[in-house]
Amino acid sequence: MQLTEVAFRYRRRGPWVLHGVSLAVPPGHVLEVTGRNGAGKSTLLRVLAGLRSPGRGTVTGRPDRVGYAPERFPVDQPFTVASYLKHMAAVRGLRDVRDGIDRWADRLRAGHLMDTRLPELSKGGAQKVGLVQALLADPGLLVLDEPFAGLDAETRAMLPGLIAELAAEGTAVVVSDHQRVIESVPGVDRVRVENATVSPVTSAEWAVLEVTVRADEADSVESRLRADGHEVRRRGAGR
Amino acid sequence: MIALARFQVAGYLRSLRVLPPLIVILLLLALVLFQPPVGARLATGAFGDVAAFMFPVWAWAARSLLDTQPDEQRALSATAAGGPWTPALAGLLAAGSVNLGLAVIVLAVPVVQGLVAGLAALPVLAGLALNALVAAAATLLGAWTSRALVPDPGVSLLALLGGATAALLLSLGPLDVVSVPMISWIRAAHDGPDVLVSAFPGLGAHLALWTAAVGLAYLLVRRTRT
Repeated sequence: MQLTEVAFRYRRRGPWVLHGVSLAVPPGHVLEVTGRNGAGKSTLLRVLAGLRSPGRGTVTGRPDRVGYAPERFPVDQPFTVASYLKHMAAVRGLRDVRDGIDRWADRLRAGHLMDTRLPELSKGGAQKVGLVQALLADPGLLVLDEPFAGLDAETRAMLPGLIAELAAEGTAVVVSDHQRVIESVPGVDRVRVENATVSPVTSAEWAVLEVTVRADEADSVESRLRADGHEVRRRGAGR
Repeated sequence: MIALARFQVAGYLRSLRVLPPLIVILLLLALVLFQPPVGARLATGAFGDVAAFMFPVWAWAARSLLDTQPDEQRALSATAAGGPWTPALAGLLAAGSVNLGLAVIVLAVPVVQGLVAGLAALPVLAGLALNALVAAAATLLGAWTSRALVPDPGVSLLALLGGATAALLLSLGPLDVVSVPMISWIRAAHDGPDVLVSAFPGLGAHLALWTAAVGLAYLLVRRTRT
């Protein structure tokens, strides 16, 4: 899949959210999208998934089956998880609906949520339902917008392996990830969205900055730095 | 497409958004239609009156159905359905089916009353077909004011009311060709069974052309929005 000189804005005569974006996402590759809050990561993901058409430029070679898990799964719907997933599987034209749902719900440890009504889901539960519906039809392109937010530790630890597995089977995976969970997947391409454009991140551009903070402030500083798109590694106490 | 339409109808029914138009219909039935018309002429008139009264109700129900799914779910449904036309067509199919269901409920009484009052089968069929065509046209008016096209709820409501009022006002004057022929069908229905039957081909063709043109424009615009 290839984006060529893609530009996008939400309104005519509005500011360009993306401009001059050229990007290749070949089958079997994992692309991590980083950038500050509001830089345009989600917009880029939506253009990649085909939810938004670019104002200029072209998108070619998008696989037929696209799985998209949004940053915030829309829980305000009058269905239980099971009936919601059945409807989504039917919309995707799955033959063996039950089998597909059970398979992915078990992998993502969401089996116990099946009888829960969508509005009653926790943040992590909603995130899992969003992931299951994205994975249902063995997508050729999987687009995950901040998939790790709110997930329990075990599912979060399992997801990079699942992404690597899908990539090995030929799925192109695009992930935006503030929490650096995807780092452990080998061979991840990384791009940064900044100033309405997308540039590849190479290791040569990284600098290491040591910051010493009081132990009780460490969590808030860490989350602020992560929210700004920085990579943070914690070391033990010491001066 | 049918699975997506079914998904939308299920959400609409489960969220009980169907109740407001149903209550309006039941009020109409209780207040007006349960007073039996005297003679075949008044019985035919009821078909025209119901179609005119239901035009904004059908448009409102269509808009409400298309707005049931949250925006993000509309995006998920679009990726799941695939194809640029499927989401728009499925939405129209869902809204049209619900409106036909509402039409069956509201028309049951006038059909029975008409047959009791001695109406022949042909004018009853013409009345039913007229209502089906008006329901389709109203579905498109509702679709044009749905959130995918008009994100602001206030503007959307104004557009819906304005559209229904404009349809009525335009059909009064020489510009009735660009609107639905509301006044013409009310007149034809009230002029008796024979007039309704002879006027139906013209009215039907007008409504079908209007619906096709407005529907095609809707599909072209809607396919670029999610």
